[in-house]
Amino acid sequence: MMNRVAFASLCTSLVVAACSKPPAPAAPAPVPAPVAAAPATAAADSAARAAVRRDSLAAATRADSLERAARERARADSVRAEVQRAQADSVAAAVRSGLAPADSAVLAEAVHFDYDKADLQAADLPKLDRKLAIFQAHPRLEVQVAGNCDERGSDEYNLALGERRAAAAKRYLVAHGVAADHIAIVSYGKERPLDPGHTEDAWAKNRRDDFVVTRGAN
Amino acid sequence: MIRVPALGVAALLALPVGLAAQDTTPPVPGVRVGITYTPGTRPSVAVLVAGGTALDSVRTILGRDLDYSDRFEVVVPPQAAASLDSGGVPNYRALNALGTDFVVSVVTKASAQGDPRSPGGFDVLLHDVRSGAVKNRISLQVAGASADGLRRAVHRAADDVVRWATGAKGIASSVIYFVADGKIWRVDPDGANRALIAAAGRPALSPAYSPDGRTLAYTAFVPSGQPIVLQDLATGRREVVPGTEYGINITPEFSPDGRHLAYAHGTENGTDLYVYDLGRRTTTRLTVGRYYDNLSPAWSPDGQRIAFISTRAGSPQLYVMGADGTGQEALARFDYGFTGMTYAPEWSPDGQAVVFHREVAGVPQVFVLDLATRAVKQITGEGRNEDATWAPDARHLCFVSSRSGTRLLWVVDLETGRMRQLNSTAGARLPAWSPGHASLEAG
Repeated sequence: MMNRVAFASLCTSLVVAACSKPPAPAAPAPVPAPVAAAPATAAADSAARAAVRRDSLAAATRADSLERAARERARADSVRAEVQRAQADSVAAAVRSGLAPADSAVLAEAVHFDYDKADLQAADLPKLDRKLAIFQAHPRLEVQVAGNCDERGSDEYNLALGERRAAAAKRYLVAHGVAADHIAIVSYGKERPLDPGHTEDAWAKNRRDDFVVTRGAN
Repeated sequence: MIRVPALGVAALLALPVGLAAQDTTPPVPGVRVGITYTPGTRPSVAVLVAGGTALDSVRTILGRDLDYSDRFEVVVPPQAAASLDSGGVPNYRALNALGTDFVVSVVTKASAQGDPRSPGGFDVLLHDVRSGAVKNRISLQVAGASADGLRRAVHRAADDVVRWATGAKGIASSVIYFVADGKIWRVDPDGANRALIAAAGRPALSPAYSPDGRTLAYTAFVPSGQPIVLQDLATGRREVVPGTEYGINITPEFSPDGRHLAYAHGTENGTDLYVYDLGRRTTTRLTVGRYYDNLSPAWSPDGQRIAFISTRAGSPQLYVMGADGTGQEALARFDYGFTGMTYAPEWSPDGQAVVFHREVAGVPQVFVLDLATRAVKQITGEGRNEDATWAPDARHLCFVSSRSGTRLLWVVDLETGRMRQLNSTAGARLPAWSPGHASLEAG
């Protein structure tokens, strides 16, 4: 029963995500009307030709930028799909892990960070404490902590920052009794945003540690 | 670098204003004409071909390369002055009257039947118009060459022309590597000839080339971790740098002699810089941070120093140290809590400057630090501009910019300020500009 609930909620989140695609691109600006057809002089004629050429260039540039925007949206969609696939995989892995779905959900709870910081937030410590209880109940359990960042800062620096974020969660868990070799860490920097938006909300969601079960309770 | 003899200046002062842009002083025997032009004015060059339309693409590529070198004014002479005679000799008198400094002529070899792709090849000649003589010539063998092979040969010829005429290193035969869609690509500096480099994982990030152009180092996201991979560009053979099998391993850069690879290795205790000796297969640690990061090593061209980014004082800022890790100090002055976060340094090939990007009001912009004066100059201001890399001529930079509304690669010439879009690959990032190929003459 619980399994079905977890599956249903996963489906719901997928559907919601599918519906939250960005709005369709605005229609291209109207192309200016062609310049008067019967110019009086050769000079006017060549000016008219130049204007038509400019207009067609402008139209081409607009079409080009729309196409680029479409490509960028497609990429954002594919990243989102990849993240969702990874989450679905991790839920499936949790089901295989022999853990109760409730425990899997607790283990999967992400912790979040301030901008350019790798310090655990006090409000997130209970999330880690709940994971501790599960580790105590399942001594064979192994987890990978993945540090992630928002889009600000350089690609490369964020990989280092993500590593520190993952390490912060690991240090806390190890300090509270989890065997160090049962927690692996990895950093995805800003390569795997949960929310591809460019807002404070999106950034806050993306500054996180994800927890993935790599070896089950059995 | 550009010296005007005192006599030349006096002669110019006597000229009517309208002519000041053209150096009409007569050539002095034994003196290179190319360096007697007026400061701020570039010598003009016309690219002329003999042999009908078959060489049009060669003329186009060559003309564009010379234009993109930003060292010439590429001119198209009127028809009467634009033809070569049956012996391939330009009309020096007419071209001189038009103020043309150089002519580059492309002449097919007799056996080639006017088609550069048919067996044979063509000659590229640099003419000094004022003295009415051929300065240099190079013979291009393109027998059986593909379109790419032809393009490469023309790029090399363009670099030879730049060197003959100005004594400076060209950029046409170099390669720019970059990342797009998590994959590594190469592209010629004229924006053409883009090709995928099959990498060992996705995303593959931070490509870095060896000075001989044969090996690429990069960070690969593979299921087992994020190692630094060395990949032979000719054979595709791959090797993981020892010690990078675990942790996060980023920002590789080869030493200028090609014998070492510096990179950042991150563990639970922070990220630190290491140097791998490719010959001895040993690794040396350069920084010892604790819960902070050191990354993005950038070798000085003499191999003695390494600039890098460190968060030791809180936010990421630019530091420098000896290549053995000693004498670590701040390189660009910063005010704690005020100076924006600073990333991605790269030492210029002439050793005189370091480029980096820094956040200004939350938006990254490209800066150049002059090492002699320690003065920092902002290069960009429109959109987000980041991850700049030096061209081998130490005057062009390739960087990522959102100025057109989407992230694309752009090239700026620091001498003239001229800016051009490199190509139209959306989402391109992390460019790395390789050194040029050796001259054809050398081999």
